[in-house]
Amino acid sequence: MSDTLTRMRAWWQQLAAIMIKEGKQVTRDPSSWIIAVVLPLTFLFLFGFGISLDTTVVKIAMVREDGGRDARALAAALTSSRWFLVVPATDRLSAERLLQDQNVKAVVIIPAEFGTRLNAQDTTAQVQVLVDGAEPNTANYVHGYLEAIWNGFLAARGLEQGGALAAPVSLEVRYWYNANAVSRWFLIPGSMTVIMTLLGTLLTSLVIARENERGTLEALYATPLTRGQILIGKTLPYFLLAMVSMLVCVLTALLLFKLPLRGSFLALGLVSAVFLVPALGQGLLISVTMRTQMAAAQLGLMTGYLPAMMLSGFLFDIHSMPPWLQAITLAIPARYMNVSLQTVFLAGDLWPVLIPNMLFMLAVGALFFGLTWRRLRKRLD
Amino acid sequence: MLQRLLAIVRKELITMLRDPRARLSLIIPPIIQLFVFSSAATMEVKNIALAVVDLDRGPYALDVRQRLAGSRSFTRLPRYANVASARGALEREQVIGILVLPSGFSADLTAGRPASAQLLLDGRRSNAAQISAQYVSTIMAAEGAPLSGAPPDARPAGAAGPVFPANAEVVIDNWFNPNLEYQWFMMPNLVGMLSLGVALMITALSVARERELGTFDQTLVSPATPIEIALGKLLPPLLVASVQATLYLLIVTLLYGVPFRGNLLVFYAAILTFAEACAGVGLFISSLVHTQQQAFLGAFAVLLPFALLSGFATPVENMPGWLQFVTTINPLAHMLRLMQGLFLKGASVASMTPDLVKLLEIALCTTAAAVLLFRRKAA
Repeated sequence: MSDTLTRMRAWWQQLAAIMIKEGKQVTRDPSSWIIAVVLPLTFLFLFGFGISLDTTVVKIAMVREDGGRDARALAAALTSSRWFLVVPATDRLSAERLLQDQNVKAVVIIPAEFGTRLNAQDTTAQVQVLVDGAEPNTANYVHGYLEAIWNGFLAARGLEQGGALAAPVSLEVRYWYNANAVSRWFLIPGSMTVIMTLLGTLLTSLVIARENERGTLEALYATPLTRGQILIGKTLPYFLLAMVSMLVCVLTALLLFKLPLRGSFLALGLVSAVFLVPALGQGLLISVTMRTQMAAAQLGLMTGYLPAMMLSGFLFDIHSMPPWLQAITLAIPARYMNVSLQTVFLAGDLWPVLIPNMLFMLAVGALFFGLTWRRLRKRLD
Repeated sequence: MLQRLLAIVRKELITMLRDPRARLSLIIPPIIQLFVFSSAATMEVKNIALAVVDLDRGPYALDVRQRLAGSRSFTRLPRYANVASARGALEREQVIGILVLPSGFSADLTAGRPASAQLLLDGRRSNAAQISAQYVSTIMAAEGAPLSGAPPDARPAGAAGPVFPANAEVVIDNWFNPNLEYQWFMMPNLVGMLSLGVALMITALSVARERELGTFDQTLVSPATPIEIALGKLLPPLLVASVQATLYLLIVTLLYGVPFRGNLLVFYAAILTFAEACAGVGLFISSLVHTQQQAFLGAFAVLLPFALLSGFATPVENMPGWLQFVTTINPLAHMLRLMQGLFLKGASVASMTPDLVKLLEIALCTTAAAVLLFRRKAA
């Protein structure tokens, strides 16, 4: 009995020793503090201010070749719209050059005899629109705005002539959780996922690769430490570091970006802690697989950071991706983290949503840690 | 001097390419990224699910459902008895929103009265939600018209509805990208983005690795001057970047059918200048730090702002004014404009010159800064 107790105490002492060693290595490196505090803050600022999908005013050019009443009314409708900043152009050629040189996003041409053709029965009045299609998202918005203005123009004209009124089906659109559909509200939780991936996966991916490269891994193997102790000892300091920066991120989001926190701090902390299991596990797996830090860094970037950015639903909606890619996203922990964070911040503690997501994260994490465990053999070669 | 410089370049290339795995890691990952991310990066909304709560069950409600099913945005339209039961699906992100067609919807429209419907959307996915709202409202706007298949006079006289003159139309012509394919936008951007990654990472880790391995001092005691050593480290990334860019160019145009309408010389000039600008930043970071881990983080701390403030993910015009100013010193922002011009727009050399010149200025600045810092640290 006392024998097992002594052995357990020894085990804990060894674990504490390696944790203290790793902890010192982390805290004595001034860059750790930069990583834990400065980097997340900078990134959050950049994400918060730099990324916005809320289309603001779009600059367009207008060529009006018809001086008639209808043409003037349409021009006024375009100019007074809050979506467009209209630059008048003298002729088609100069307007097209504006479009070519990326000065405007679209050109609207109201051709000569527009009014005459509109008022005659047997002719068709055409408004010609050239849209810069190079950026499809903006182009789609321009299409929508133009359609709305055109319908408004026709309806107003019909009304004047004693015709019928507004469209008969009114669609009342409401956004749950984010009443004004502010893109920042869904982008900031996503940015936190990216930052956590950066800390959890990328930093740890260098941990064992560094010892390998410097040759200190052999020294570590020569100690009585077991694999489990090495794994835990190397992971925990990074876990704490990541949790600290998560706290910094959350406070910034709440105080500076005025993000609502409709769930609880408990749920937030739990989700973050659970996410770090696969994130750290992935980093360690990379670390034991790659021999050099350079290779580990590249793999970490490829399989950790970039997927968190592109495949987690942070910027691009997963449901719109091709099926084979949606299948790949199932193995990406950031995907589950993203949904969980968005839910805790915007919707509340919806446990039926959070628990399955946390289970998935733990499953992926268990896989990563299991593989690391198998690869981390105490052997010299 | 040239001889010594070439010797250093050779040495750097050997370090970089000696290991077959390292050679592969320069070529394979970027190509995988090109394939995966070009499929992932889409702002279109397609194949998603919209819940329908049909309390009306009339002919117009059926018509709305059929029209929705006909669009390629919504492939699944699960029906729910009431909003409360649909809400669970929305919470679990199984549907993007809930369309509620109230009872009396068809009766109102048949009688010529205005009808209303409700669309509840998931604000957690606000971008996809907004795009969905656009699609649904387009379909609903058309709903006042007579039911498809019904005779034109099925609608009672005097029914409300926009009576638009049949002889007026807007003809929209999308320049540069007629079908508004998102991949056409993303591919040229990825060419710039991936060149940034490789040029920055190679140089950022180079000096740091030598410091860590202790070979840095050996290089310094060689007859080469610090400036030659620095230049020797800046040139190999240019080589790698242009080889990769050639590969991308072939994949993007031949495999994905994205047009290349510009001048090839401008393309390579852009790649080389841009890679030089990035390599300068990388070497600057590398001279500043002590370990590869720090170098890696330093590179990262630059990579992310470059990417975010370039128009890669979201348009520069959406940013606040002061940030738009910052984008003018971001090499990637200029690079992306050049790539768009070269691939899609067939922009003239003259119209691309300002961006090229700006890129060259940035490259000169970063190179000078890197070489100066390197010399100071090496001395």
